[in-house]
Amino acid sequence: MEFDWNQQQRDFRSTVRAFIAANLPDNWEAVAHGPGSSAQTTFSKTFCGALADAGLLVPHWPERWGGRDADPWSAFILAEEMWAAGEPRGGQYMNVNWIGPTFMRFGTEQQQERFIPPMARGETLWCQGFSEPESGSDLASLRTRAEKTESGYCVNGQKIWTSYAGHADTCFLLCRTAPGKGGISILLIPMDTKGITVRQIPSIIGEGDIHEVFFDDVEVPDTALLGEEGQAWEIVRTALSLERVGIPRFALASRMLHRAVGVLKKEGRFARSAIEQSAKAHAACEVARMYSYNIIDQRCHGQPPGPEASAARIATVNAERQVAEFVVEHLPDALAGGDAMLMAHHQRAIVAGIASGAAEIQLNLIATELLQLPREPR
Amino acid sequence: MDFTLNEDQLALASAIERIATEFATVPTDFHGFTLDGAALEQELESGQYFDIAAIPEMGPVAAATVVERLARLPCTTEVALSMLVRPQIDIELPRPFALVENGRPGRFVASAATVIVIYGESIGIAHPSPDEVEAVESLYAYPMGKLTGSPAIKPLSSSDAETVRTWLRIACAAEMAGLLQAAIDAAVEHLSVRKQFGRPLGTFQALRHRMAECAVLAGGVRLLALKAAWSGDSGEAALAALHAQDSATRVVYDVHQMMGAMGMTLEMPVHLWTYRAKALLAELGGKGAQAEGVAKHTFNAA
Repeated sequence: MEFDWNQQQRDFRSTVRAFIAANLPDNWEAVAHGPGSSAQTTFSKTFCGALADAGLLVPHWPERWGGRDADPWSAFILAEEMWAAGEPRGGQYMNVNWIGPTFMRFGTEQQQERFIPPMARGETLWCQGFSEPESGSDLASLRTRAEKTESGYCVNGQKIWTSYAGHADTCFLLCRTAPGKGGISILLIPMDTKGITVRQIPSIIGEGDIHEVFFDDVEVPDTALLGEEGQAWEIVRTALSLERVGIPRFALASRMLHRAVGVLKKEGRFARSAIEQSAKAHAACEVARMYSYNIIDQRCHGQPPGPEASAARIATVNAERQVAEFVVEHLPDALAGGDAMLMAHHQRAIVAGIASGAAEIQLNLIATELLQLPREPR
Repeated sequence: MDFTLNEDQLALASAIERIATEFATVPTDFHGFTLDGAALEQELESGQYFDIAAIPEMGPVAAATVVERLARLPCTTEVALSMLVRPQIDIELPRPFALVENGRPGRFVASAATVIVIYGESIGIAHPSPDEVEAVESLYAYPMGKLTGSPAIKPLSSSDAETVRTWLRIACAAEMAGLLQAAIDAAVEHLSVRKQFGRPLGTFQALRHRMAECAVLAGGVRLLALKAAWSGDSGEAALAALHAQDSATRVVYDVHQMMGAMGMTLEMPVHLWTYRAKALLAELGGKGAQAEGVAKHTFNAA
């Protein structure tokens, strides 16, 4: 057991930090109101381009696609530093983490050549068309249908709560080509295709993050299909296993906790109940960090993803919650115009237990797979 | 960063697993509050397991994994302080070890050859004679005892005291990690076999979610304990002990709820873990003191 970084990992983290420090604008904290905002999306194109030039956008990708085959630690250190800085990559973090790697595995040569290089250059933004008004946690019940035409598919239906849809170039769309879980397929559809309408939904978590996307007789060619018809469930499972740990939210939570404690100390407000609550929140952040590191370590040793990833997710939800609650109880002024980053963090902390699948689904997975409790009847 | 055990640690883990298997069951005629682990102690002594932290290939982190594993056994003997704290003071000191805080009864005090005595901010070492200690009846599932005489106390320097406090916290967290895991395992077994409304209790989501949350807490206690044992860092030790004591309150309550009336009987020995966890809740000043340790060492608060 070794709970410290090796020299190479330390150097890599320093490189990433130095890059961030040199490339974030002075008004960054006012811009960083969530990966989906217009200002952040616009900035992310410049930033990701510069990251790509510095070899820091996709270091864990194969050389063929612009990477250098770095191990999973590099990708995770990169993700920690980016998220802790307010995610200057905007929605492009999804390309790097799982959309690109999914195309490398399941895409045709033509799809790979078309979609991967722009990701590796930091030029393109994707959205994932998963949830629907009637299909949230029960994703397999989705109804958006793709009917076979002579030269491709005609798509009709609606997606909702779609992140980044307002700025995305392309949609990774789950749609139905036949009944049942085995009847779901993936279409890769440019967002400027005729028949697609995007409507931003005003939200408490910040500008530009959630949308409705309507598909009305959207015609796409056969080449839009990723993998085989009906292969979506398998592809998404694989794709999300690349993303099981998810966003290292604990990294920003921890940084915001230290910031809040710093303010309280400076102002002589770091008293007994604040001490106890901040220490518990710090523990929650470190637990989430250790669970996440454990998953990355398993991946480095070639072990398949297990139920511990769900535990890591729950630990991360706990960390976000405890830091957010600490700030609102002990530094309430921060959320009333006192600190833009603390405000942005508080807005996004609520997302932890909801986005990429409700935490309660993960609790069920832990009960069944980790604790081996009998399954609930369906 | 590497969570895997090295070859020596793996060999140790399998040796400890063999020993643990021997002591895994509760005798059918046992209906007591505390299950004595004298035979386990003898086996650990003869295998020289109490000194493993001092072996470079093993280190305190390996000792912490052993403390955690043995705490999952229904029987109990003094392991944590001997394995994790003693090597930091003087590995030649006689064991068993015990801790006496501000004159209160403590675990294993009645049989201790070395007692760590905490009085206020100071810490000292005593070697009481048998007539200076006595056993105390208690609700805790550890053999509890207290100092009755006034043995000579050799005070530790403030830096040695800080080191001892750090390792006491790590020992507490490592022990708690095992206790909580074993309590959860017992509840999971019960929920898997006990049927109501025609199906196992473990199929009801209200209970599944609570147990899943408890499992995440217990696993977190283990991770923080191992990290602190690896680093020996004061802030990480305080953090691990804080998370251990904080999580235990929740896990102990939930586990007993899961066990229902069966958990109130001495025939269903879940108390062997939960009532040991309760004994650790107030140690070292409890959550408030651990939080102050975190504030001091991590947030640099005065």
